[in-house]
Amino acid sequence: MLKKQILEEFQKIVGSKNVDDSDVMTNAYSYNWCMEFVNCMEEKEQIPFSPVPRAVILPSSSDEVQQIIKLCNKYNLQFKAQSTGLGPWNQPSSENCIIIDLRRMNKIIKIDDKNLYAVVEPYVSGAQLQAETMKYGLTVHMPGAGPQVSPLASATSMNGPGFTSPHTGHSARNVLGVEWVLPDGEILRLGSTGLKNNSDWYNGDGPGPSLRGIMRGWAGAKSGIGVFTKVAFKLFPYPCSTKFNLKGNSPNYEFEVPDFMKLYVMDCKNYKYLEKVFYRVEEEEISFICSHLSGYGLGAIFSNSFESLMDKIPIASMHAPLLVLIAARTKREFEYKQKVMNLLMKEFKLENAIGTTFTPNSLFYAEALRSNLGLHGFIATGGFQSSKGQCDTAELCLNTTKMSIPLKKKYIRKGVIGNDFGEGVWITSYESGHYFHIESPTMFDQTDEKSVKGIAENMEENYQFDLVKHLGAPFFVEGDRMHDLFGPHMMNYHHWLRKIKKAFDPNDIADSGFYISAK
Amino acid sequence: MDEEEYQKMIKRCLRCSICKWIPQVQIKSQKYATACPAIDLYNYHPYSGGGKIILALALEMGRIKPSKELLDIVYKCTECGNCAISCKFLYTIEPLEIIMRLRERLVEMGCGPMPKQKAYINATKNVNNPYNEPHENRMDWLPDDIQVDHDAKLLYYVGCTSSYRRQEMAIAAARILNAAGVSFDILEDEEYCCGSPILRTGEIPTFREILNKNINIIESRGIETVIFSCAGCYDTFKVDYPLYREYNFKVLHTVEFFSQLLDENKLKLTQEIPLTVTYHDPCHLGRNAERYEKWEGDEVQLMPLISINIPPKPKRTGKTGIYDAPRDILNKIPGLKIVEMERIKEYAYCCGAGAGVKSAFPEMAIDTAKIRIDEAEDTGAEILVSACPFCSTNLQDGIKESNSKLKYLDISELLLMALGLDPEKLQLVLGGET
Repeated sequence: MLKKQILEEFQKIVGSKNVDDSDVMTNAYSYNWCMEFVNCMEEKEQIPFSPVPRAVILPSSSDEVQQIIKLCNKYNLQFKAQSTGLGPWNQPSSENCIIIDLRRMNKIIKIDDKNLYAVVEPYVSGAQLQAETMKYGLTVHMPGAGPQVSPLASATSMNGPGFTSPHTGHSARNVLGVEWVLPDGEILRLGSTGLKNNSDWYNGDGPGPSLRGIMRGWAGAKSGIGVFTKVAFKLFPYPCSTKFNLKGNSPNYEFEVPDFMKLYVMDCKNYKYLEKVFYRVEEEEISFICSHLSGYGLGAIFSNSFESLMDKIPIASMHAPLLVLIAARTKREFEYKQKVMNLLMKEFKLENAIGTTFTPNSLFYAEALRSNLGLHGFIATGGFQSSKGQCDTAELCLNTTKMSIPLKKKYIRKGVIGNDFGEGVWITSYESGHYFHIESPTMFDQTDEKSVKGIAENMEENYQFDLVKHLGAPFFVEGDRMHDLFGPHMMNYHHWLRKIKKAFDPNDIADSGFYISAK
Repeated sequence: MDEEEYQKMIKRCLRCSICKWIPQVQIKSQKYATACPAIDLYNYHPYSGGGKIILALALEMGRIKPSKELLDIVYKCTECGNCAISCKFLYTIEPLEIIMRLRERLVEMGCGPMPKQKAYINATKNVNNPYNEPHENRMDWLPDDIQVDHDAKLLYYVGCTSSYRRQEMAIAAARILNAAGVSFDILEDEEYCCGSPILRTGEIPTFREILNKNINIIESRGIETVIFSCAGCYDTFKVDYPLYREYNFKVLHTVEFFSQLLDENKLKLTQEIPLTVTYHDPCHLGRNAERYEKWEGDEVQLMPLISINIPPKPKRTGKTGIYDAPRDILNKIPGLKIVEMERIKEYAYCCGAGAGVKSAFPEMAIDTAKIRIDEAEDTGAEILVSACPFCSTNLQDGIKESNSKLKYLDISELLLMALGLDPEKLQLVLGGET
């Protein structure tokens, strides 16, 4: 709870109904997915609750955010900002923290269909933005966490791979102009938004040196370096017709698959061969989705329950599958893409399982277009989290997969993580194969104490493994401990990160539990 | 949901916020992407379906205690179940059932329901209706010229809201039955509240008494089929009663029954109605009207942490809600044009009245109705149609409060006009009045 005087000052900024420090509210905001194993890793009580925030506040504008942060500085209160709020990195790391829930900042400021960018506030979801951009024949990069999350959060504060990354890239690469409320309460506008004259949102770098790297770097600061209140990001041509018609009832919708879409699932049999195919497919720059998933993962994205996964055995038993979705806006473009795929399959002596050994429900195509596939990871045990998370060559990603199988199997044998034969990874290319992303979704049961402990140990051992085997920095390098672990092996980047933190947050007001402290 | 399932499920929320939106693949615009009136209006996460699951867990763990803040969140929910449809697109959690169970918990702890809900529960105990109207006035709606047959095996269960507040619905339904030559009975002074508004507050012991009384009366009369023009009564009889006690009669909503009569040519639609309408799916007639299927399979552990249900456990996803019958009726009315809102059928947005909200939080009910009115207006329709007296009351209140030009009609009123049996009303409607 807050002292009465402080509470009243917050109320003056946002109105009394938009700040709440009751036990009920603050406890509800201390819960999140994966908190139980994060607590376990930090040797705290194994519960899905973080430290309880002192209050929750709902601003409606950048100006209000600025005033809130100035007040936090005045009273030495830390803040944690969240938009759609999925994941433990939305949680406070101390009990001297308030939550700034950006839910009321939910406007699409602008869709510039000529210059291909959109400007949004934090609580616009991916699906909302996509639905609006589709009206212009455009789409947006949506993070793998699903269409219900905030593209702003992904662009400014998180990592940001997605299933459509071959076509729509990576959140770090899509961000343009940014409005950023710094931890001292100043507002900084990045890129062309910061120009004195004729400012607009079309460019993310300059004026002067670009601060984009400082703003988000590789994986974002998870609110540890301020609050992002508006962001512009690139838009992309919608890959096919924007007609989006469904019949039937949830969850068994039938989707009227747009003309000019075709799905390929090919078993490359081994990782070395898969690497060659991966590169060749992506060199041709024809895919909308191009992903390797383990057999289990492949079965899961075509299923809406574990029971329905059981009839996906023909593809779920593949050893090194590659999934490619091509989509086109014209018949000619479609014929070209199909011709290329046919030539590649001939060159590599591969067969397409789709339409022969397996035919997915039409709903798969709707979920692929809307980027709803990642959420299927939850259907087996109710919980999953990814280890790994590197961004590198296909070779390193696939070597990582292969090398990590024995480690994963060790925990599968213990019965504490779900059995995906140790092969459970998702690898996608970015921007037609310029680089690749790997993560290793690991299934656990959040209601089972041994399983929670098991995934915590598995995560820990994976970090050490990645370090010893020189596999690069994982997805969730966050918090002092992780940066101190990986920094010395990666050109001491953590020293620079700390300098950034110190320069931008001299009073240590932005909660750094999932970023880095200035120390 | 038994206690064991409840304890397990409240630990499973992913806090993914899927429950705040209609199914992701159904989102067609930014404006109409959301599913839950409570989170739309009150913004704090605990007001969402997932947020209430967190509260249920926090309460069980002793992290929070019953308080006015907790009651405000838990009871500012219309139990419309839209959160559950979105959640169960992929997951196996039951947000609506958890919310209902959480209310039961609060009642058991001596905290729930809300004062105004307690008052209508007492009224129901005393005079058999939540409006505290004299029981002897229950049949005041029935015009002398309507034929009722006390030997009929078909019962028209009118319900409290149609009897006392939305009498035009009861009259229209009865006239349509007469027009089709269908003999029907009415319980008259033996008709009592169905218990729906009580059940939704978590007051289970009173609800049990009511359902037993109602089933006993209907069965003692040898009734074969009961029809309801109230979606709430229909849902309660169809879906909730069997969870407590089986019965031996068939239940239908009037839209199902009238649609059958039209198919059998027992009703002739002669009157052209040159209007554009949009149809609002009541939660109780749509997604929530899906029965619980009894599952007697086995949970087989395939490997550590991974089990499957053999046969698969049925998931209530709103698939058998009554969506086609009302649309079939509207499509058969000569001259009528139907335009759909963005959120329809199993992901229709709630009118805002249900689960005791209209009584305990009238401002929430109206604010929700305004959102739905806005959506209906955006279709370009002149008339908003539905099939529930509770939706009717609240949507009409919403129309008034938002100064909307939209008019509201119950589907039975529209059908009566199309039968040529209410020319006066038709003239009023065509002239822009209802």
